[in-house]
Amino acid sequence: MILVPGHKEKGFISNHKPPENKVNQGPDLWAKVAGRALYGIDLQFPGMLCGKILRSPHPHARIKRIDTAGAAALPGVRAILTASDIKQKRYGIVVQDELPLAADRVRYIGDEVAVVAAVDEEKALRALEAIKVEYETLPAVFEPGAALARGAVQIHDHIPGNIAWQRELERGNPDRAFREADLVVENTFSIPSIHPTYLEPIACLALSDYLGNLTVHTALQAPDMVREIMAYVLDLPFSKVRIVGPIMGGGFGGRVYGNLKLYLLSSLLAQRTGLPVKMQLSREEEFSIGRPMIAAELKIKMALRRDGTFLARESEIITDNGAYSAQAPWVTKTLSERNDSVYRIPNIRTRACLAYTNKVPTAQYRAYGNQAANFACESLIDQAAAKLGLDPLAIRLKNCTQAGDTTVHGLKIKSCALKDCLKEAAAMIGWSNRNQNYGYGISAAIHASGSLVANKDFRGASARAVLELDGRVTIFSGEQDYGQGTYGVFTSIAAEVLGLEPGLISLNSRDSLVAPYSQGALANRQTTIGGRAVQLAAVDLKQMIERAASEMAGKPIKMERGCLKSADGSIIELRAVACYHHNRTSGLNLTGVGSYVPPLAEYDETGYGNISVTYSFAAHAAEVEVDRETGAYNIKRIVSVHDSGQIINPLSAGGQVYGGVTQGVGLSCYEGYLFDKGRVVNKTLADYRIPTALDVPDITYHFVETTDPEGPLGAKGLGEVVQVPVPGALANAVADAAGARVTALPITAEKVYRAITKGECRS
Amino acid sequence: MQEQVINFDLNDEPVSIYADPSLSLLKILRDRFNLLGTKEGCGRGDCGVCTVLLDGKAVNSCLIPAGKVQGRNVLTIEGINGKNQVKAGLMHPLQQAFVEKGAVQCGFCTPGMIMSAWALLQKNPAPSTEEIREAISGNLCRCSGYKQIEEAILQAAKVMTGQL
Amino acid sequence: MSYIIASTLEQAINNLKTSDGRAQVIAGATDLFLEEFPLELVDISSVPEILGISRSKGFLSIGAGVTHAETAASSVICSEAEALSEASLQVGSPQVRNMGTLGGNVISAAPAADAAVALVALVAKASLIDLDGSSREVFIEDLYTDYNRSSVDSKFEILLRFLIKPAQKGEGSAFLRFAPRAALALPLVNAAARVRLANDIIQEVRVVVAPSKPAPTRLLETEKLLHGAKPDLLTWQKIEYTASSEVEVRGSMLRCSEEYRRHLVGVLARRVLQRALVRARKVT
Repeated sequence: MILVPGHKEKGFISNHKPPENKVNQGPDLWAKVAGRALYGIDLQFPGMLCGKILRSPHPHARIKRIDTAGAAALPGVRAILTASDIKQKRYGIVVQDELPLAADRVRYIGDEVAVVAAVDEEKALRALEAIKVEYETLPAVFEPGAALARGAVQIHDHIPGNIAWQRELERGNPDRAFREADLVVENTFSIPSIHPTYLEPIACLALSDYLGNLTVHTALQAPDMVREIMAYVLDLPFSKVRIVGPIMGGGFGGRVYGNLKLYLLSSLLAQRTGLPVKMQLSREEEFSIGRPMIAAELKIKMALRRDGTFLARESEIITDNGAYSAQAPWVTKTLSERNDSVYRIPNIRTRACLAYTNKVPTAQYRAYGNQAANFACESLIDQAAAKLGLDPLAIRLKNCTQAGDTTVHGLKIKSCALKDCLKEAAAMIGWSNRNQNYGYGISAAIHASGSLVANKDFRGASARAVLELDGRVTIFSGEQDYGQGTYGVFTSIAAEVLGLEPGLISLNSRDSLVAPYSQGALANRQTTIGGRAVQLAAVDLKQMIERAASEMAGKPIKMERGCLKSADGSIIELRAVACYHHNRTSGLNLTGVGSYVPPLAEYDETGYGNISVTYSFAAHAAEVEVDRETGAYNIKRIVSVHDSGQIINPLSAGGQVYGGVTQGVGLSCYEGYLFDKGRVVNKTLADYRIPTALDVPDITYHFVETTDPEGPLGAKGLGEVVQVPVPGALANAVADAAGARVTALPITAEKVYRAITKGECRS
Repeated sequence: MQEQVINFDLNDEPVSIYADPSLSLLKILRDRFNLLGTKEGCGRGDCGVCTVLLDGKAVNSCLIPAGKVQGRNVLTIEGINGKNQVKAGLMHPLQQAFVEKGAVQCGFCTPGMIMSAWALLQKNPAPSTEEIREAISGNLCRCSGYKQIEEAILQAAKVMTGQL
Repeated sequence: MSYIIASTLEQAINNLKTSDGRAQVIAGATDLFLEEFPLELVDISSVPEILGISRSKGFLSIGAGVTHAETAASSVICSEAEALSEASLQVGSPQVRNMGTLGGNVISAAPAADAAVALVALVAKASLIDLDGSSREVFIEDLYTDYNRSSVDSKFEILLRFLIKPAQKGEGSAFLRFAPRAALALPLVNAAARVRLANDIIQEVRVVVAPSKPAPTRLLETEKLLHGAKPDLLTWQKIEYTASSEVEVRGSMLRCSEEYRRHLVGVLARRVLQRALVRARKVT
């Protein structure tokens, strides 16, 4: 069944969900607890080589000479590649700024200069040491402000001014709003680069056969997008690039494109040697070259009426791209505008600029920078409320976006329980009865669920539902499950349509050879878009089953609750229909296809329009206790209230909330890159600190279940939005308790202490 | 270092290998015994995904030189359920509880987490939530926020002490 | 010979002797993989002389090979050397505490080692033996030569035990650390104190903080202020000020500024003293 825009459906949305204990979460869970689950780092192939990368020790330098002769002569070394050994093609996800290997210049500490394949790790590392590279160091630039200044060092010759991406945006009449406002507040906020810190370092294993077919085993959130780029860079037909996913040790946006360099270089080595080549990043490499989310500085100004009505917001945003760009422009875009739709703000002016620096290249992280904007904007709202003598909850309730709204950027809000979420969060934290000794903060968020802007032409998803000969059903989908519960959601959706037990349905999605093309696990599109395709495929299959059964029985047959029945009550087994069709067609299986093409996102050249299938909302509140003598604070509670539509799998939804809030705590309190002249300082898990079990506050959650007209079974995305409100709620709670505000993440004890003492350290 | 014979008990079976004693136990388990359930996340004792039991105590196998296990007892995730089949229903109560309570997402921390929990329940069959947190504080998890892991360990404790 | 597990002290010494300075002793080995690997190792973690907690001649004798987990679980240490008990419980992670030893904590000479700070506050002595069998006893703080360097060359000398006077009537000790994360984190500052009261007058006191100098650092000026004082009449503000003024600290991008660390030393010194005093009075 193909669902294109304008197609009218009847009775399609249902609230029927399988009971919790019936959710079929797939086989991986059991493998994981048994220690039998195989991840990228576990892959082995007979005769495989180990690939290792020689990286630049300089933040910016010209490569004068590379001598690989000594290394090539070492025993066990099978191939060494430098820029001159390969056909170089410039690529990029948004900006074309990368080459597989640095050609004449290196642009950050870690830039790939040469790559070695050897029979084992030790020999590969020894070969790296034997490669001689002569550099001529160049002046480097580390701060976005300095990079954007006139006369700054140019990092890419073909990209003038070190500007990777920029835009200016105006909605309504901000100048008039600021003139007429009763109150204008402003402040500058910053957030450092955040690494997704999936616990399994990225690994891949590449094989190339005699016909040029390339197979890369690696776990990716968006394998087909990676295939496209690989086929382009390696000059291979798209159909010759296959990606097979082992189990993924965490993604969080970091494995949407993963580490393209690693996949390209292992493929080049596999092509060169004809042998399987495995490459994996060390934890230190993960931190020093592993594509964190951009750092951002946000200067925000707000205009309000005396009664607390929001009139306008003006933002100046500079983000730090590092040496190469990946998805940083999209992250900058989301960071600079999504938060404007949390509240009714009629007038907006935004200037955003993404600047190149000689630092680690960036990409994306769960929630796409929306959490950075939340920190800044929600902090500023509390500042305004304090100035106006208004309650932080009341000012939010007064302004929050509601169902039926078209927001300032043109988002059409079809379902929205934000107001109820705010009220519920306030009730759960005890807002009206706050303890004098603690600080309280509240914050709200919106996030796109099924964003349509990545590719205007391809914006939906497709799926196949195959009736196996044994009467079971296999779903083929390109959407990836890496533990966030997609398997359970998809099998539940198909089970609901077909009236079968979820246990009779399985999902096959990890091999690009058989799975339908997909945009992948990003932009909260899995449930909303991928799930819809599965639903359509199941509907299609059901119709085909009924048709085949009717033909077989010679009378009309209906499929109800998984049973095939005729009007006279006779029953046909599903298996029998499967075999009937199989025999009649000499081997075909009844196969339903589903294609969901969401409405075209209509937006103008300024980006105004409805850019997503639907939107999720959330409100979080936090309670903290501050030790005023040291600035240390203890997060006592975080409550997390969500409008993610209907919740299909409560257990994994709960897991998403606990995990997402904890990541929010991490970036609010501990995480963030530290650089010293372009070198990453905190490149171990001891120094880049993510929360341990002892650092997690008491988290409670509640779902305000709306029924979204677009999502399958009325569901909306949850995985990303869950992290967004945390920094705002925590920053406000700490400010409330300390009586002073920290404007730079992470909120460390030292920063809180200095805010309390106005910068002094009393001795 | 020069290779030498190392004898030890691995998952309740005596084993003997000829290996460089300065290699980490983690490397030996993965490369020599193909016990890939013990994962590597950092190689420095910062994450706990390589946790195994050495004479019943949770340790980071990435920090243990192979020579150190001579004559000792090593238990990995593959050995916690004896020779029982890898099958739903025949799992160790900890494994069962991790599945039932939603304690597993990406699963990369799971083996190490279960080993730390196993060590805890051996010496403290009815731990409090605080004690559980303390016991898994050397095991990082990025997906779960730990809550459902704590619940799983509590449930397993109850099952193992016959309260459930 | 490359990795030898010694089962007796004699065997360990013989192995060191015959290796001509190539072999060194290890016990918990938790730092082994973080540095250049030694050529030959003599693992002494099961040598009886470095194990166990016992009483000898009025001292608590704690083996250098006793792990942090064993220290933290010991009821004797918990009641008679509280500071050490608290410190051991907060080292690294459960896994590291299961392997890491008190001896290693001192000999690796990391500037913010928790147990070492507590040991210095408790006026602990180390008892060592060299390859000729001659032994020496040294105060812990005298074992440090530089950051991450101790005077114990584990190729030629073995640290056997720590000797601590158990807490008597009127004595109390405590340990506190200030860390950026609740587990798996080095502290920004740690502090330990031990006080002895008689007739509600401070007779003896030690306040030790780290990281400061290479060794856990006694705050001598602060101790002077406290000596002979009545706890109820103490001006804590002045003590805090003295502690942060006298201490030598450094700032680092990874942890915190020098200024803030100095401030923390003051706060932690006061808090740890107050905690020790409460205990001293309880025992009275």
